[in-house]
Amino acid sequence: MSALTGDTDVFSAETGGTSRACIVFTGTRQDDLPGIYGRTEHDAVMAVLAELAAEGWVLNQRRVFDPEAENVPVALDTGFTHAHDIAGVFEAPDLDAALQGTIRLEQAGWARLFRTEWMIGLREFAPVFGKGAHADHGWAFMALWEWNDQWGEASRAERDEYDLECDIAFKGDLAHEVNISGRMRLDIAHGWHHLGYWEISGPDVADSAIRGHEEVADFKFTTSRHIVGRIRPLAELAAPRHDDRKASHV
Amino acid sequence: MSEQTQASATPCAWLHYARPRPHWYLVPEAEKAALKSAWAAVAKAAQDAGAVHQGCFHIRGQHDFETVDIWMFASSQAAYGHWQALVEARYPEYFAFSNGIGLELPGAGDA
Repeated sequence: MSALTGDTDVFSAETGGTSRACIVFTGTRQDDLPGIYGRTEHDAVMAVLAELAAEGWVLNQRRVFDPEAENVPVALDTGFTHAHDIAGVFEAPDLDAALQGTIRLEQAGWARLFRTEWMIGLREFAPVFGKGAHADHGWAFMALWEWNDQWGEASRAERDEYDLECDIAFKGDLAHEVNISGRMRLDIAHGWHHLGYWEISGPDVADSAIRGHEEVADFKFTTSRHIVGRIRPLAELAAPRHDDRKASHV
Repeated sequence: MSEQTQASATPCAWLHYARPRPHWYLVPEAEKAALKSAWAAVAKAAQDAGAVHQGCFHIRGQHDFETVDIWMFASSQAAYGHWQALVEARYPEYFAFSNGIGLELPGAGDA
């Protein structure tokens, strides 16, 4: 696996053999009417998630920081600030497994529940721990970004200087006790080039950290989309609104 | 793991939407020709390895991008290998893009 840019003070390339694949998603519920998604589909989706876990998928980014953490499927509850209801990151053994896994989930009933944007790519940089207590944070922040036309036009020296400036901001993030689960590249199968996933203690931390990125002009060379949400089990986030009995009357 | 990976490999469509970044129009002709030649060599290497290029289609009339290239690769990993070769040949510095991968849907078109 080749990284899109070289190592910096904060980030270093993943070591080991073939890169693991990542599956980034945002989902919007579409089960307003009874009969679309019920207990049967919910159980089938949870069964596929259990199969994927047994096949080596990481369904909980906490595992990236702590391999002993339980692999309980989680996602960010994002409905309070975003047009989509959930967002999250899974990891699969390879790209083909990632793509096929999304189809298995969709066919088990996920497609009935969520209108989903799946972004499939590869892990690129190793995880980085924030300073201080590495508590299991209850919130997460996701940053999707792409290099813009100005980055494309810039010289190698200008880009290197920019990377070093951004490193100052990333060091600031770590001082906020942000845990960064590395960097994923999404450019093979999406318009976004990258994802960063952070564990944070709350939305204010994300806001404060992003001000640090603005100070070093991070956004002069990138266009980004930021997502904040509380981490909750997917079993809850994907709970049916209607029971199957009502569905039979539709 | 590698055997399992190969066993699960499925033909994979790769859709590549692109448009020139503004500074592409300022690149001297000789440099442009060298870049295009390098990118064509990447495409030829993919085809020599078994990938099928269905074509490059103009979509500017109804899309944010100018063209879409449609490819079939032996696996998503092979599609990634092709894209990475383009990245190393500096293609994304000159063209904005959005890519997609997809597996054939069994039963589609049976109706």
